[in-house]
Amino acid sequence: MSSDFESYEQDFGTITAEVTNKIGRIPKLSGEEKTQLVLNVDKQLEEVRELLEQMDLEVREIPIQSRAMYNGRLKSYKQEIEKLEKDFKRSRIAYSDEVRNELLGDDAGSSENQRAHLLDNTEKLERSSRRLEAGYQIAVETEQVGQEILSNLHSDREKIQRARERLRETDANLGKSSRILTGMLRRIIQNRVLVFILGAIILLTIILAIYFNVRGH
Amino acid sequence: MDNSGKDKEATALVAEAEKKMKSSQSFFGAMFGGSSKMEEACDMYVRAANMYKMAKNWCAAGNAFSQAARLHLQMQSKHDAATNFIDAGNAFKKADPQEAINCLNRAIEIYTDMGRFTIAAKHHITIAEIYETEMVDIDKAIAHYEQAADYYKGEESTSSANKCLLKVATYAAQLEQYPKAIEIYEQVGTHAMDSTLLKYSAKDHFFKAALCHFCVDMLNAKLAVQKYEEMFPAFSDSRECKLVKKLLDAYEEQNVDAYTDSVKEFDTISRLDQWLTTMLLRIKKTIQDEESDLR
Repeated sequence: MSSDFESYEQDFGTITAEVTNKIGRIPKLSGEEKTQLVLNVDKQLEEVRELLEQMDLEVREIPIQSRAMYNGRLKSYKQEIEKLEKDFKRSRIAYSDEVRNELLGDDAGSSENQRAHLLDNTEKLERSSRRLEAGYQIAVETEQVGQEILSNLHSDREKIQRARERLRETDANLGKSSRILTGMLRRIIQNRVLVFILGAIILLTIILAIYFNVRGH
Repeated sequence: MDNSGKDKEATALVAEAEKKMKSSQSFFGAMFGGSSKMEEACDMYVRAANMYKMAKNWCAAGNAFSQAARLHLQMQSKHDAATNFIDAGNAFKKADPQEAINCLNRAIEIYTDMGRFTIAAKHHITIAEIYETEMVDIDKAIAHYEQAADYYKGEESTSSANKCLLKVATYAAQLEQYPKAIEIYEQVGTHAMDSTLLKYSAKDHFFKAALCHFCVDMLNAKLAVQKYEEMFPAFSDSRECKLVKKLLDAYEEQNVDAYTDSVKEFDTISRLDQWLTTMLLRIKKTIQDEESDLR
């Protein structure tokens, strides 16, 4: 009895292997070949299901003690079949990698693409952050330079203000001195006029004195 | 330029000037227009000194200028005397710093006598610079800077006074005279806060004051930082304030690594100058000492 089961298992194994192979090939093909392969796989899946049913019947005839083991195996086979059917369905509706590659250009593989993309992005981010840091440094330096310039300007402002004050003082002093000088000039002229007048009076007195003397004789 | 020829010309002029001097001092010279002779002699001294300067004979130039200055003093023209002393000082700066300082001191005396404090202050600064660079006598330099600052304050030019005071404070802090430095920094900081031009430098002054507090005692530093933040809200935004706070925390935890890290981080953005590095190093040493004490 169990040899039957084993022979069923062997058949099951070979057929599932074939089916997996074909399912793998399906997406890459198209048109006539694809439909052929699809029909093939369908037929083989039918066979496998029948095998499973027979295995089930066999297991029922086995005495209860050893049934557990065969039951376990049966369950795993059933799961395998379900998975194969799912794959089969997916492969029929999914379109192949190759066709997609043809359309979008020859890229090595999508995961590698993404990796390179990510690395590129990280590098760009690092570059921008470095540039930002440098910019910040320059801004801080500019601020410091600005501080110095401002304090210089402040002290220069005071100097200029002082110089202006002093200039105004000097101006006032110059005005005063020019007034004094004109005063001096005036006094000199006055003195000279006085001297002339006095000289004239003395001359007149002398002439009068001489005149009266001469007249007296 | 035939500079060596100038040298000889200058010596000839000096000799002539001396002769004139002697002749003017004799009896007849004093009667018959001695003063004009002295003026001529002065003139010749000055010309000779200029020629020495061209020939780069600084000592001789300085001497000639001092002679001219003394003659001016005799003739009671103080302004000219002072100017010549200053020229002598400048000439000596390149050759003999001590002699330069003497000349400059005499010039300052004359200026303060006449009441020209601003110029006197400016020359105090020159003397202080000579002490800083060529003779490296920091105490005297500080004294002169303080005098200059006092004179400037008297003449109501607070900005120039502040400049001098800041220099005093940097040196005082280096010599560990912390209270003085703290006072100066706070004063300058508060003054700067009010002026539109200077408010951007105010945070720098508060930062330095906080560091000096820190060197003295940590609690002081904390109180000080709080006080400054109250007075000057913009201070709390500055990176320097954040650095000080981090340093305070690191100090409390006695964590040298955190301290070094925050200092390094600050350094990457704006280089720490020599004064700052010295102060921060001192603070770091106190942390390390305390750590080793506790262990």
